[in-house]
Amino acid sequence: MLTLTSPVETPLHRLPAGAKLAGLAVFTLGLFQISNLWVLAGLALALAALQLSFGRRFASHALRMLKPLWPFVLVLALWHLWTGALADGAFLVLRMGLAVAAANLVTMTTRLSDMLSVFEMLARPLSPLLPPRRLAMAFALVIRFIPNLAERMALLAQAHRARSARRPGWRLVVPAALAALDAADQAAEALRARGGAD
Amino acid sequence: MERSLTHIALFAALIAVLGLVPQITLGAGVPITAQTLGVMLCGTVLGARRGALAVLLFMALVAAGLPLLSGGRGGIGVFTQPSAGYFIGFPFAAFVAGWVMERTTLPVGIAAGAASVIGGIAVLYIFGISGMAIVLGKTLSEAAMLGMAFLPGDVIKVVLAGLVTQAIAQARPGSLLSRPQTLPVSAFN
Amino acid sequence: MAGITLRDLGYAAAGKVILAGLNLQLDQRRIAIIGRNGSGKTTLLRLIAGLVAPSHGAVTVEGIDPYRDRKGALQRIGILFQNPEHQILFPTVEEELAFGLRQQGMTQKDALRRTRDALAAEGRAHWAQASVSTLSGGQKQWLCLQAVLLMAPETILLDEPFSGLDLPAIARVTRRLEALPQRLITISHDPASAAKAERVIWLEAGRLHADGPADQVLPQFTAEMARIGEADADADLAG
Ligand SMILES: Nc1ncnc2c1ncn2[C@@H]1O[C@H](COP(=O)(O)OP(=O)(O)OP(=O)(O)O)[C@@H](O)[C@H]1O
Ligand SMILES: [Mg+2]
Repeated sequence: MLTLTSPVETPLHRLPAGAKLAGLAVFTLGLFQISNLWVLAGLALALAALQLSFGRRFASHALRMLKPLWPFVLVLALWHLWTGALADGAFLVLRMGLAVAAANLVTMTTRLSDMLSVFEMLARPLSPLLPPRRLAMAFALVIRFIPNLAERMALLAQAHRARSARRPGWRLVVPAALAALDAADQAAEALRARGGAD
Repeated sequence: MERSLTHIALFAALIAVLGLVPQITLGAGVPITAQTLGVMLCGTVLGARRGALAVLLFMALVAAGLPLLSGGRGGIGVFTQPSAGYFIGFPFAAFVAGWVMERTTLPVGIAAGAASVIGGIAVLYIFGISGMAIVLGKTLSEAAMLGMAFLPGDVIKVVLAGLVTQAIAQARPGSLLSRPQTLPVSAFN
Repeated sequence: MAGITLRDLGYAAAGKVILAGLNLQLDQRRIAIIGRNGSGKTTLLRLIAGLVAPSHGAVTVEGIDPYRDRKGALQRIGILFQNPEHQILFPTVEEELAFGLRQQGMTQKDALRRTRDALAAEGRAHWAQASVSTLSGGQKQWLCLQAVLLMAPETILLDEPFSGLDLPAIARVTRRLEALPQRLITISHDPASAAKAERVIWLEAGRLHADGPADQVLPQFTAEMARIGEADADADLAG
């Protein structure tokens, strides 16, 4: 399945996923301790330079991943133009952008399977409640069934279009949920046929 | 045991797929996606514990780098965005919706609507608004004003959650795990 | 105790009787099950595989109860589902194949090695990392069959194993199945492939209709199917 990992190989790809996540946690906590606008601006420049050093393609991918932030940038901009506290607005925009961009950098340079392995490791203390193999099985099942359900939804939409001029919209939700329930029963049987859940 | 695991996994996949449904646009041009509807359904159909686990499973895969949040968002950054509070609130919303569903004896559709109001609006907004307040550096009441923009869409989703849960209860009575089973379910679970 | 024993076996779901009164001792190496749509063939295989519990009577497979003793059942019995889409649990081909071996106690490393060897032996080494969602219906069916064969159970239940395969694939899989030392119980709508069985069991509306060597049962079956097919309306569609 499509992941957000960048196909452009960078030196960061080779660092262990756990280390990157720990580094990100420290960075984000530290970020919220900073109160000086110029420190933030410096950090933002450094981060942008780092991403540019990985090439244009990588940097533009990183920029695209910031796109969901623009409504919030707009809200902050309007708000602080209204109140006149422009420096505060710039500070908040920078902090928000840095927090998201740094996290995206970790996502872009870590393979899905490595990230999931870290999660499985972090869940190990819960193993009496949540056996690690069952968690791995759950991840695999979701990845297996997303394309399957998506395809069923597409077929349902086509079936709807074949017999109706209206767009299916939310009407697809019921058959989609029923498909998920049926697939769950069938998968439970398939799992049982080959030795069960643990 | 198998059945519990596969229901949790399939509903995690369902939340993902509902994020892909073409968005329904309200009159005012505010797009709403069916994704939070998926979160509510986890609670109203699977019940508190399984519903919350399904949502957590979905979140883990999103955080690990699958672009499954509506609009193709994903990655660790979902925890640091202004909307992070909503994301973090998802499993709590599903749990509370399921909890309510398990405890009321109201007819399924009404119970599911009420459960979604409490879980999918009241609980979710507490998390979502707190998150926006922190990331955007605003007071809670200022953030709450921003959050209200989503209210019309979420009210529609509450109604839909009730209708959809009702339809599921009719089509697959044995599969509504949030309610005591009246019909014998297939013998293994 | 050898073979598979069905004692007064019955199954009901949602208040409807689907199978009733089956008493059979199955110890031939090649057995075919035939019958019309909805006659209960798939349900019978699910009972033998221990996927569902009988509502009546009992199933014994080589001395064990396949529903209760899942560990024992795993070595004794494998099943190919009618719809491969319902059988596949993993996102990639090699994970799907390796899973059964792991369940039988192999380490992940050994299971993956065996899986790759098996794919290479079939000339499909390049499939290992392929996503199952990109396979065609017939390719999925082939994958499911490989997953069952890899676990090498003593009895293999096949629910219409050829329905989605193309002609070369049918020829290859048929040859492979013929060479297997295991017991095979195959559901088939094709009289030609059922003709090779030592014993043919004909189900009709959830009950045993005929049971015997292929050259006795099949001519009756083909004649009856032709007779029904000629009638305009299908008056006795099960359900
Ligand atoms: N879970 C269930 N609930 C209700 N009815 C069921 C269930 N499973 C099977 N049936 C019914 O039992 C009957 C036998 O089904 P089964 O799948 O065993 O038929 P089959 O002989 O394999 O048919 P086909 O040749 O079409 O595959 C059918 O009438 C079917 O509708
Ligand atoms: Mg069948």
